[in-house]
Amino acid sequence: MKDKEFISVVIPISERIDDLLELHADYKSALVKVGNPYEIIYVVDGDFELELKQLTSLVNDNDNVKVIKLAKTFGEAAALNIGFENSTGELILTLPAYYQVEPTELSTLVQAFGTNDMVTACRYPRTDSGINRFMAKIFHKILGAITNSSFKDLGCSVRLFKRKIIEEIVVYGEQHRFLPIAAKGRGFKVEEVNLKQSAKETYRRIYRIRTYFSRLLDILNIFFLVKFTKKPLRFFGLIGSFTFVSGGALFLYPIIERLFFGVALADRPALVIASLMIVLGVQVFALGLIGELIIFTHAKNTKEYNIEKIIYKNKS
Amino acid sequence: MELSIIAPLYNEVDNVKLLYEAIKTAADSLDITYEIIFVDDGSKDDTFEVSKDLALKDPNLKIIKFRGNYGQTPAMAAGIDNAEGKIVITMDGDLQNDPGDIPLFIEKINEGYDLVVGWRHKRQDKLISRKIPSKIANWIIGKVTGVPIKDNGCSLKAYRSEIIKKVPLYSEMHRFIPAMASLTGARVAEIKVRHHARQFGESKYGLSRIYKVIMDLLTIKTIIAFSSKPLLWFSLLSVPFAIISFLCLSLFGFELLSYGTVSLVYITIGMLFVILIAFLLMCGAIGELVYRTGDVRLHELSSLTSDVIQGVNKDER
Repeated sequence: MKDKEFISVVIPISERIDDLLELHADYKSALVKVGNPYEIIYVVDGDFELELKQLTSLVNDNDNVKVIKLAKTFGEAAALNIGFENSTGELILTLPAYYQVEPTELSTLVQAFGTNDMVTACRYPRTDSGINRFMAKIFHKILGAITNSSFKDLGCSVRLFKRKIIEEIVVYGEQHRFLPIAAKGRGFKVEEVNLKQSAKETYRRIYRIRTYFSRLLDILNIFFLVKFTKKPLRFFGLIGSFTFVSGGALFLYPIIERLFFGVALADRPALVIASLMIVLGVQVFALGLIGELIIFTHAKNTKEYNIEKIIYKNKS
Repeated sequence: MELSIIAPLYNEVDNVKLLYEAIKTAADSLDITYEIIFVDDGSKDDTFEVSKDLALKDPNLKIIKFRGNYGQTPAMAAGIDNAEGKIVITMDGDLQNDPGDIPLFIEKINEGYDLVVGWRHKRQDKLISRKIPSKIANWIIGKVTGVPIKDNGCSLKAYRSEIIKKVPLYSEMHRFIPAMASLTGARVAEIKVRHHARQFGESKYGLSRIYKVIMDLLTIKTIIAFSSKPLLWFSLLSVPFAIISFLCLSLFGFELLSYGTVSLVYITIGMLFVILIAFLLMCGAIGELVYRTGDVRLHELSSLTSDVIQGVNKDER
């Protein structure tokens, strides 16, 4: 990197938290080693009394630490967005409020940035349990198949990127996890960098069923985002017309039998199933049309393209 | 500025210089102020570098570089958004259109048309794989949208900029611009243009393309014919189902009254379709809501295309 650019570090404080004083000291010494000027912004997502006390003491001891306290829990993406809004650096580094990668590895991440628009960390070698790794592998395989991307570790929130990325991509809900995919889809240069996983992350990663369920929802979420947002009818229409046509065929079959072979119509359950399918098909189709109306009526505000630069010679 | 000429480029490193020179020759002959806008749609070859060198020499050439490859319609939209001319002309970046036709378009616009569409009447393409399918597609598009254009696929078009800047361009909608523009009351003219054979690459009407065109056509029909009254459109959609449901329910009633027997199948089907009708009507209501909260109202652009006829000495009376 030519000049040492200013880095804004954004750390959301939500579900998982390690001892913040220790963590801050580690991050700080790593950032000092990196050498860029920096600020650290903690966004406290809801009520965390102990953490807030610790952070207040950090603010008193350091002049480049900022703490933002949210009135209630809004979720990680909201916390991140508020952090971004209150940051000033051209580069933004997001870090988790717990040990995920070895803090000393941050300099590797910054060095790897180069001409990229975003670098995202991949924990490697991994030290957590085999089942976790196995589940993560499946999750990323499915994601990769849907979105045509090859990210190996989107669960890792250690990311360094240029400010213009979040100016152009709006994340909400749980979508911050997919920021690298979205950025890549918009044409930004994104690279994944292997960083050593922190030894402290290993012993307490026990996922509950709920976590797996929410991962499943994540996949659905990104699937909809990828497939729907531009041409809803092409997607809905596929399901709709398939159901409608097979329902229609099933509907005709008993009617033909009635007309030419004299089989009574009144007690054919196939007719009911066929009509159910027709009804479902038309409903899905109608929803697709509604989707298209939504896209159309907002098309002037959502730009589909992303201009890198405009070149022209001045006339004067 | 009088004229903006927009051409999207994608991997056109061999063509870009020829294209630029051809456009420049045509535009210079018109003797009006103009700009040429090349939109580089994330080319993987040196298209951008070559066009950049051209732009640094010519103040009339502007290059817009995309960060990724987004497709032809977004490229045209970007060009149009950045165009300053009173007349906007769009064309292909692969020299299939002939920039020599540009003066004809200007002439037609000056005659008072809002939109002039090119018609490649001697298409240099294969008959079976391109010409026949596209002829059928154009005929259907004309029937459905009510704007009978012989060649919707031709990129060479001219617009009055105040109109095209207000028409939403997204996805692959460039094929339906004449239909959308007609909503504003735009006067559309069609003129014959020259067409050169494609030199590299080829696209075909595959099954998936047919499906896409059909879906887009349904979309455009929804948008055009009934965008200002979605409820009406959805009630029309429910008419066939109302007929089926009426038939089934009357069969049921007939059996019940004349034989005293009850047919579960008839009543179930009848009621199912009643449910569907209710659903469609509600979709129409949601559509009204969507339309009301949106910000595109093409028919409100009518003031742009209408003439005001007024007595001359009104004030002096």
